[in-house]
Order: sequence, then C-alpha cells, then structure tokens
Amino acid sequence: MTDLLRLALTFLWLSLLCVGGGLGVMPEMHRQVVERQHWVTTREFVDGYALSQLTPGPGMLIAVFVGYRAHGVSGGLVAGLAMFLPTSLLAAVVARHWTDLRGRAWARTAERALAPIGIGLMAAGAWTLGRSAVHDWLTATLAVASLACLSLGRVPPIVVVVVAGAIAWMVSG
Amino acid sequence: MRRGRLTSLVLEFTWTGLASLGGGRSAYLYDRVVGRRGWVTSEEFVQDLTLSQILPGSNVANLAVAIGFRLAGWRGAAWALVAVVLPGAVILLLLAALYFASGLAPAGGRLLQGMSAAVIGLVALTTTRLARAALRARPGLLVAAVTFLAVGPLRMSTVLVIAIMAVVSGWLHRPSRLDEGIAGVEGRSA
Repeated sequence: MTDLLRLALTFLWLSLLCVGGGLGVMPEMHRQVVERQHWVTTREFVDGYALSQLTPGPGMLIAVFVGYRAHGVSGGLVAGLAMFLPTSLLAAVVARHWTDLRGRAWARTAERALAPIGIGLMAAGAWTLGRSAVHDWLTATLAVASLACLSLGRVPPIVVVVVAGAIAWMVSG
Repeated sequence: MRRGRLTSLVLEFTWTGLASLGGGRSAYLYDRVVGRRGWVTSEEFVQDLTLSQILPGSNVANLAVAIGFRLAGWRGAAWALVAVVLPGAVILLLLAALYFASGLAPAGGRLLQGMSAAVIGLVALTTTRLARAALRARPGLLVAAVTFLAVGPLRMSTVLVIAIMAVVSGWLHRPSRLDEGIAGVEGRSA
C-alpha cells in the first residue's frame, strides 16, 4: 500500500514538473525512479523510454512501465493515473476560462518566459537519456545515423528505430 | 454536442494516437480536427496548443483535453483523455510484462539497445528543430542554455532550476521589453 502511495506521489510530482513536454522531466524522473526509489535500473529506464516512444499515445506513458516494475499491474495503473489525471483536470479547468485568460498580458508573458525553459529542459532530457543509451561505438553510430536519416525528413521515425534495433541485433548476434 | 459526435470525437482521438506513432502528434491532430473535420478553427487550435504547452503535464494529453472541452465540455475532455491515453497504456503494460517476465534474452537486449540509440537521434533532432524555431532572440537562447547546463551536465535539481529560471526568464521577457521589441520572439510554431 505504501508502495502505491509512493508511486502516486512520485508521478504526481513529476507530472507537475512537465513544462513544455515530457522529455524535459527525464532528468528528474531518472533521479527519482532510478537513484532514489530504485524501482528500475538505468538500463531498464532507457529501454522503457524507447518502448514508450514506440507505443501510441503520450511519451509520458513510461510512468506505466516504471509503475509495473515497482508494483505490478496496479502499480502501472496508479502511476499512469497520477501522471495524467491531475494535470488533465487542471487543463480542463483552465481551458474553460482560457478565452478570457489568454488576452491578459501575464498569459503571453508566461508563454514567452516558459518556452525557452521548456527547450532547455528538453535538451537536458536528451542529454540524460543519451548518456545511458549511447555507451559503445555501435550505439553511438546508430544514434548519429538515426539523426542523419531523420533530418532528411523522408523516413518515418518508427522505421528508423526498428531498423536500428535490427542492426544492433544482427551485428552483436 | 450530439451523441454521434462524441463517438466520432473518441474515434478521431484514438486514431490520432495510433497513427502518430513516433512523433508529430499535434500535427496529426491538427490535420484531423481542423483539416478534415473542421471542428475547430486554426486559431482555436493554436490557442489550445499554447495552453497545453504552458500548463504542466503531457502536452498531448493537455491538448486533447482542451480540444475535447471545447467540443463537448467536461464529457468531451474526459473522453478525449481516455482516447489518447488508454490504448497506449494497455499496450505499454503488456510490453512491460513481456520485458520483465523474460528478463529479455541477450538478443532482445541488443535489439532494444539499438532502438534506444535511434530514439536518442530522434530526440536530439526534435529538440534542435524546436529550439531553432523558438529561440530567435538572445534572452530566450540564454535561458535555454543555462537551463540545459544546470539540469543536464551539472545535474542540478529540476525544481530549483525551474523556479529560478522562471523568475529570470519572466523578467527578461517582461511586457515592457516586449513592447520595445527587444525580446521579439515570434517563433512559436503553429
């Protein structure tokens, strides 16, 4: 029971730190679920992130993955609910009054002020994940090749990701 | 909103969630609800997109909730949330069960390592593109760079950094400066 409560509080806390997208909260999520609570290892964390990117729906579904590891199916559900429900309620409440609010100067200031923070956090998230996911010549090559391939804009990301997995599997097999 | 429309709302959002695998989710959503269905105008969509970005939480979920609310009030918001989150949650739960049950044989482990590396490429590219679009002026660039350094390489607490940078960035982007056009950032992507 205390496990579930800790899961709920941790992911509620993390959901509130999601400014400008899920990637930005990855450094703090890593700190909480790997270093502090030991629910998953770094390896599992990175694998979970890759799986959540391959799964339809928000990237923050990684909460479900971590929750499952910590406390089975109920853990996954609790972590998912804590991640999505409270902030969605807030979004609905704000959406209700948004037409009135957005005209105010502070709303525009908040938007402009938060945007660069969100970008900085995203970059930090990429850094945190990259440090764990890129650890030898093979993974480094695949990361660079994927970046190059995707920047051409022709190949869907999911194809690149799956092909990279197949290459790693064959090369090391 | 009529019952029939609530059903098609759920279908559209579910479809968007499934189709937009691997990124570009808001672009898909735009295509469906603004382009094909004409449920909301382009301007309304951008308003909801802004809202979803400045509020905490998952951007995709927030955007779905905001548009769902616009279309059908509280019920629309609730159904939109279920439609974007639930299918993926069920799939990921199954994947997690599979992953932890097998402990993943060495071959499967290599497969995932390759996929994770490619995801890093994707993540780096997305971040670069967004940064290029949003950071046209010096104050924004400075705030983003300091935030990155503090949270990334220096491993400082995210909360602390957000709290400090919110004040700094708010001051740098205060309305009087905007009026003078010093911070003229107009690059938020539509």
